[in-house]
Amino acid sequence: MVLVLAIGDLHIPHRAPDLPAKFKSMLVPGKIQHIICTGNLCIKEVHDYLKSLCPSLHITRGEYDEDARYPETKTLTIGQFKLGLCHGHQVVPWGDLDSLAMLQRQLDVDILVSGHTHQFKAYKHEGGVVINPGSATGAYSSITYEVNPSFVLMDIDGLRVVVYVYELIDGEVKVDKIDFKKTATASTNPTD
Amino acid sequence: MPMTMMLKGKLKLPEKARRVFPDRLGSLVAGFDDNKDDKGGPDQLIESGEELETFQPNGFGLDREFDEDYDDDDGKSDGELDLRVRQKPDKEAVASVSVSEIIAADEKRSDLEYELSQKEINLEKLQRIACSGLPNEGGSRATAWKLLLGYLPASRDLWDKELTENRLKYAKLKEELLLSPSESSRKKDGLNSNEQHADSDVDGPLERHDVSHEDHPLNLGKASVWHQYFQFAEITEQIDRDLQRTHPDMKFFAGDSSLSRKNREAMRNILLLFAKLNPAIRYVQGMNEVLAPIYYVFSSDTDEQNAASAEADSFSCFVRLLSDSVDHFCQQLDNSAVGIHSTLSHLSELLKTNDEELWRHLQFTTKVNPQFYAFRWITLLLTQEFDFHSILRIWDSLLSNPFGVQEMLLRVCCAMLLCVKSRLLSGDFIANLKLLQHYPEINIEYLLQVAQDISPDTSSFRPSL
Repeated sequence: MVLVLAIGDLHIPHRAPDLPAKFKSMLVPGKIQHIICTGNLCIKEVHDYLKSLCPSLHITRGEYDEDARYPETKTLTIGQFKLGLCHGHQVVPWGDLDSLAMLQRQLDVDILVSGHTHQFKAYKHEGGVVINPGSATGAYSSITYEVNPSFVLMDIDGLRVVVYVYELIDGEVKVDKIDFKKTATASTNPTD
Repeated sequence: MPMTMMLKGKLKLPEKARRVFPDRLGSLVAGFDDNKDDKGGPDQLIESGEELETFQPNGFGLDREFDEDYDDDDGKSDGELDLRVRQKPDKEAVASVSVSEIIAADEKRSDLEYELSQKEINLEKLQRIACSGLPNEGGSRATAWKLLLGYLPASRDLWDKELTENRLKYAKLKEELLLSPSESSRKKDGLNSNEQHADSDVDGPLERHDVSHEDHPLNLGKASVWHQYFQFAEITEQIDRDLQRTHPDMKFFAGDSSLSRKNREAMRNILLLFAKLNPAIRYVQGMNEVLAPIYYVFSSDTDEQNAASAEADSFSCFVRLLSDSVDHFCQQLDNSAVGIHSTLSHLSELLKTNDEELWRHLQFTTKVNPQFYAFRWITLLLTQEFDFHSILRIWDSLLSNPFGVQEMLLRVCCAMLLCVKSRLLSGDFIANLKLLQHYPEINIEYLLQVAQDISPDTSSFRPSL
């Protein structure tokens, strides 16, 4: 049972001052084992805050991140799942499923986590799963101003992933649950 | 063997290993000259057996000082008043000692097996046999301990029923309390799995279920399964850390083998379950050490079914054993009448009653208070002071004491002090503390014999003869 927090596009301080208070009260250290962050934090203070929640922090570079050392993409294996991480501004058209599927095949992962659109998405597409955690602060995006703050918490347990989506809608936290099982045949790598 | 036939069924205890006589034990044992005149030698076995017979009607419980007689048969000169008399047999009977020891050990084993094979186990008899030590091999120690702790009833017929019931209870408890939240939600969702399988082959947005009012990992509500899980995460970590450090020299517990991992996991389950069921004490560092001998003995049972259910049995017996001394672990009770400080003062009193000189030296001259050394002795039931097999032997005596584990424990602690008396008397605060906190190796049979001989502290027991 591994808890992985997928979060990103905070745009602090340029587009938002901080995470919503209700989110902050829920995110306490000691519960989460890994954090994967799509990018656009944008400053070091946010990095430090996330680090305080969990020492295992993985970030990819968003176009507004002040730290230029973050990689463009990252892959990691957690339990039975291979996760891929990328901010998403590099994948054109932005948010296009086919293009994201291309990236997924390139990285050879089961779950691709990418952001940039500031819209939560969870799709099954061409043998893999694409998850977009949205913007944790509800910052406006290049596409729209109407953004609900959201982030994603994944519970990886063996061959099963339970995805909990936390959204702040009209000041209330709404939690949705998505179940996803990895079948042996769904793996793209024949040597698995 | 004629001897075995003659003595079968009578209370029969083996001789102790030879030991060095303590400084002042002489004055303790008054009025038991009857048995004391026996000198060493196997021929004496028959006679002392006969003599013991006459003591039996007095009953075990009536006079504790007689215990020592039961231990002292075989004519081996033990616990005597007269040093002179004792020296001779030691020198003479060197060769015959080992033979009679072997014979005695065999007889003890057959007595033990006989007793354990009865339909109705005589607990008193078992206690007497056990307090002189149980064999390391075979399953008799496991069975004996289960009987002594009251886990197994005295009627053999009820054993199967009790065992299956208890093991089932344990499995249920585990399921209820030890499942991680994802496992339990997986079980709950198992019913819906058919629907999800149909979706998983189809591309498209993944189905979302609103659980805002149900449980989720970041739920801060007290009723949340997740919240409770995280509250125990710290305790679980502590338990794991302690288990890693349990008996690092033993393959059974330490290392990366699948056996030791499995054992540590079983022990973790037991300790975690105990912590959840006893929120007032939770887990205290050291409980792992108290659990270790129990779990080891039960796992080494030659009966396969018993060994496989060692976890469930160990849990019950661990709870029983700890129920005696659980107050020692509760910090709020420290200064109360049942707390650890009260027990430590009992130990002081016991020492004062038995050896005022040593008591005075420790208490006033060197100011070595019991809480500096005996705290660990008492709360951890001496598991940290001796090597593993000595611990098992000591526990045989502790568990078989008809007056309870704590009573014998205090006596053993007092005996530990008496046995190093000369070193203590010549030491200062630092030397004494160092000695007592790293107790030197000692002949365990001797130590236990000294413990048996200790006069009770009259404030809590009625005076002995």
